[in-house]
Amino acid sequence: MRKQGIYAGFVLILMPFMAGCKPSQNALERVRQKGELVIITDPTYPPFEFNEGEKLIGFDVDLAREIGKELGVRVHFIVSDWDGVLPSLHIGKADIAMSGVTITEERKQMGYVYSRPYFLSGQTIARRKGDTRIRQLEDLKDKKAAVQGGTTGESALQRAGVPDDHILRFKTLPEALLSTRAEKSDSDGTVADVPALKYFLLKDFPDLELVGNVPVKENLAVVTWKDAPELRDAINKALGKIMADGRYARIYEHWIKEPATPEMMAELDRVRDAGISGASVERPSLASLLRKALPQLLSGAKLTLFLTFTALLFGIPVGLGISLLRISHFPPFRILAMVYVEVVRGTPLLIQIFIIYFVLPRLHLQFSSLASGVLALSLNSAAYIAEIFRAGIQSIDIGQMEAARALGMDYPTAMRWVILPQTLRRVLPPLTNEAVALLKDSSLVSVVALEELMRKGQILVTNTGEPTPIYLAVALLYLAMTLPLTFLVRRLEAAWQPITREKGRKRNV
Amino acid sequence: MSNAILSLENLVKRFGDLEVLRDIDLEIEEGEVVALIGASGSGKSTLLRCINRLETPTSGRICFRGTEITGANVNQIRREIGMVFQRFNLFPHLTALQNITLAPRKVLGLPAEQAEREAMELLGRVHLAAKAHNYPGELSGGQQQRVAIARALAFKPAVMLFDEPTSALDPELVGEVLETIRDLAQEGGTMLVATHEMQFAREVAHRVLFLHAGEIHEQGTPQEVFGNPKEERTREFLARVLTR
Repeated sequence: MRKQGIYAGFVLILMPFMAGCKPSQNALERVRQKGELVIITDPTYPPFEFNEGEKLIGFDVDLAREIGKELGVRVHFIVSDWDGVLPSLHIGKADIAMSGVTITEERKQMGYVYSRPYFLSGQTIARRKGDTRIRQLEDLKDKKAAVQGGTTGESALQRAGVPDDHILRFKTLPEALLSTRAEKSDSDGTVADVPALKYFLLKDFPDLELVGNVPVKENLAVVTWKDAPELRDAINKALGKIMADGRYARIYEHWIKEPATPEMMAELDRVRDAGISGASVERPSLASLLRKALPQLLSGAKLTLFLTFTALLFGIPVGLGISLLRISHFPPFRILAMVYVEVVRGTPLLIQIFIIYFVLPRLHLQFSSLASGVLALSLNSAAYIAEIFRAGIQSIDIGQMEAARALGMDYPTAMRWVILPQTLRRVLPPLTNEAVALLKDSSLVSVVALEELMRKGQILVTNTGEPTPIYLAVALLYLAMTLPLTFLVRRLEAAWQPITREKGRKRNV
Repeated sequence: MSNAILSLENLVKRFGDLEVLRDIDLEIEEGEVVALIGASGSGKSTLLRCINRLETPTSGRICFRGTEITGANVNQIRREIGMVFQRFNLFPHLTALQNITLAPRKVLGLPAEQAEREAMELLGRVHLAAKAHNYPGELSGGQQQRVAIARALAFKPAVMLFDEPTSALDPELVGEVLETIRDLAQEGGTMLVATHEMQFAREVAHRVLFLHAGEIHEQGTPQEVFGNPKEERTREFLARVLTR
């Protein structure tokens, strides 16, 4: 009995990971029974889906509402990063995705099933106004191109032969566009869907322009997972009706600000089968998946280690300096250090990264992605390390400083030779904690297009549709980096134990 | 006045509203051993700490060899005035030898070899040459305090201040430390010793000062103060500590 209970618990925990192991009831029946269609979307993509105040609005949102009416169910939107949108289908968190998703053969092969196309789109380039060096995707080969990672913009660049390290992958489209702006100029063009680019350029980026032509044509469709063909068929039927009875044209005109021409409607009808999967391809084996993923994850891990160690390299001496100012007898120094520590500790690291990368350029301070990442992590860890050192120094018995001063040493000499050597031994454990925390926090710099371990994992998941093995591998790689660190420090700590008569005696309490 | 090595005039120390030292006047002759006795909180420690400027006096003058040192370079004065603490305050990350050589090397820039030679001599004087390479944590309290005394002697100070040097020790370890101080006294060192060891004060000191509520309440030779105390408070104090 008990054993079975444990087994049942185990299965419950694993449920979300067990793709394909779903109840026999089909997806359409399930949606009807719930009375609710759960739709996942990345709400940073106007005019398709974006927030106005608290409200989610856009082309996809209005279209979804009409689909819901046809199916006779409520629609419920849940939101996620773009990287999480498609995998959510796979693990059963959402029934369908509507997020301006393009039909691609790769995604079909991963097991995603498309509805008929509901929007004719294409990829184009936004460049700085008058930057005529950039006319087509190939022109970005020897320059830097920004995209929202894992979108068809990225694949279009890859197909055009733009090398991987010339592509800056951001989490959202507006961040990619910010990097193309003249004041930042970290990239020379942003590649994305025409309607989304048009919307952003008109509203927020008057200093950018689209290249004249549309190099890549694409179709957008509703996405479900391969186990839901009935749901797909129902949605197709609904879409057909919405397109035929004029509701589609109203939504189109409202959001795209152009009439839905008869030619466009005819074209949408002509490509109605574009979403149907070709010959079904075997899903890659776990071994071949890992063979593909591991080199990329390892290169991410390398960047994670680099970021962590350079941040510590700067953070430890700067932190030590700040801690000395913090305990100085000269009030202005003390206040300066206190303000620094409180400001840095009191604001999220993410904001600090954004400020360094996106806001400082306004003050003509330019930092590349890598420099921004290193700078943000260093300045952030310096504040925490300063507090660790301050606590360490203040934990040393006041008699130590008095004895040193009574022996004629001045304050710096006493600090250097008496207080700090003792402090260092004492702060080693909290310093290790900080190093481990920093290693994990370094994943936040992915927002400025740095592909460290976590980001590499997310991109791989978007491109392979296999969250379980990839995220497990990412977790194991993090452990492989943090465990040796803690082990090393434990050894150091033992070697540095202050020598006492009790040395070697086991602690029993 | 002229051959006083150390003189205090109208020395006052206040911590906020609390007056710890009131108008202390004191002269110490070269070679004189002065014992400071009095209850806890009577100001003994504060007096010693003011002399080597671990505390800044609120008002009054301190003169060393006739020159006022109240505003002088403290680090120079401290080389002339050695201090031994109740709780030893040895540096736990350094060996006994390194504890002694650190200040001469870092303050005077003495070469390591010379500093170590002199430190070994000092350790010999306190009979701890064999423990030169041991860390403080490996030494008994008495041994630690003797290393601390050797450390304070490294600059050959003209005056030694002892702040209750045996109060933190187990009773069986008190003797060896007092013995070391007695040796120094017999070699003619000038010293000011705050102590609760009345027997020691009686035997070693040339002069005994009884501190009460921040004032020198009574002073004289050990025979006078211990044998025939004039003040009521001195009698009370002595009755309390001697019958224990």
